[in-house]
Amino acid sequence: MNAPIPQTIAQYLQQVRFALAGADRAVVQDALYDAEEHLRAELAANPDVSEADMLRRIATSYGSPEEVADIYRDTEVTVSRALRAPLPTARSTAAGRFFGVAADPRTYGALFYMLLALATGVFFFTWSVTGVALSVGFSILIIGVPFVVLFISTIRVLSLVEGRIVETLLGVRMPRRPAYVQRGVPLLTRIGHMFSDPRTWSTLLYFVLMLPLGTLYFSLAVTGLSLSLGLIFAPVASAFIDGAQSGIFFDGERVIPAAVVLPVALAVGILVLFLTLHMARAVGQLHGRIAHHLLVKSAAGGSDPQPVPTQEPAPIPAT
Amino acid sequence: MDTDPHIRKFQKELAAGTVALVLLSVLGRSDRPLYGYEIAKQLERDGESPVAGKQSALYPVLRNLHSAGLLDSRVEPSVTGPPRRYYQATSLGRAVLADWQQAWRSTRDFVDDTLAG
Repeated sequence: MNAPIPQTIAQYLQQVRFALAGADRAVVQDALYDAEEHLRAELAANPDVSEADMLRRIATSYGSPEEVADIYRDTEVTVSRALRAPLPTARSTAAGRFFGVAADPRTYGALFYMLLALATGVFFFTWSVTGVALSVGFSILIIGVPFVVLFISTIRVLSLVEGRIVETLLGVRMPRRPAYVQRGVPLLTRIGHMFSDPRTWSTLLYFVLMLPLGTLYFSLAVTGLSLSLGLIFAPVASAFIDGAQSGIFFDGERVIPAAVVLPVALAVGILVLFLTLHMARAVGQLHGRIAHHLLVKSAAGGSDPQPVPTQEPAPIPAT
Repeated sequence: MDTDPHIRKFQKELAAGTVALVLLSVLGRSDRPLYGYEIAKQLERDGESPVAGKQSALYPVLRNLHSAGLLDSRVEPSVTGPPRRYYQATSLGRAVLADWQQAWRSTRDFVDDTLAG
């Protein structure tokens, strides 16, 4: 596809977005942000050059929209693979796979996320429900519209924050830059776009969902950890506590002696601990997918602006 | 004979590692934080460097160096557009830079020796 030479920064960014259609949505968001920062800096550094001329020159330095798209697709993959902490080596034996979960850094990130999810879930839920309720209530007053706009803006910022938490702890690629907002359009259009953007609503849905999900994650993690640690340390406790009566009792009679129960408790505790770690890693992967789906905008999303109007392709100046 | 696509592919593969080294050394040398555009212009001044290729390739690398803990970053508002992200090498970054330079020199010497035959 031979795209026309863009005349404005908005058209350039639109072409980048188009060329990146189908790429990871988080990569698209970062690419647009970087390109805008660079183009506007270039424009500010050369105030005597028109926007169209600057964009024609930029094709040889920063790259044409298609080249930029290719670079983000490739560089992201290569560099992040080279710099990311190595994944633990895959183990071949069944026991190795089962116990290897303890050596996987993602397990502990996910476990920590599960414990944190109660707090963040309560906060996101409260913030969203309060905001929506106040927005509806204020809608009949003069402060209604500014309040709604302010509330939706906070939702976007919180979405970025949650994205950072998810990427750090769960290892799912999330945007590292705020969503691209079109500049140079009237304020009302921009506000209108906030409401027609499906991501605003899916983010709200995610924040409301975080209360039940967070409660569930927290309960699962705390139950698994306390049960397994309790069983593992039962023999220790029994040895150090004066007059501890270990064993299984029935009607006051010791039916199974401590010598049998305590080793079994230790073994079961270790088993439950590793099962908990497996569960944490699985929950982390699942939740990462949910977050990526609801918080990151699709590259060819429904409400995206239309493609740039086609013009006769201008000749590219020789370098 | 059309060697062009092969040259481009080779340059891209070379750039994958060297861009990170170049960026880290630019930021390691600088005594103040720099932002993406500034770094790109500085590399342009230092000569028509084929190592950087298109300047858009610098940004993802900067971001990855940052997430690897080699660079510090902070955002400052600018009058010309979106807020600018300034980068500065961390002490880990400076230590890694020394190691990378070592690795680069030995690779370069090895390749030069092999090419000389």
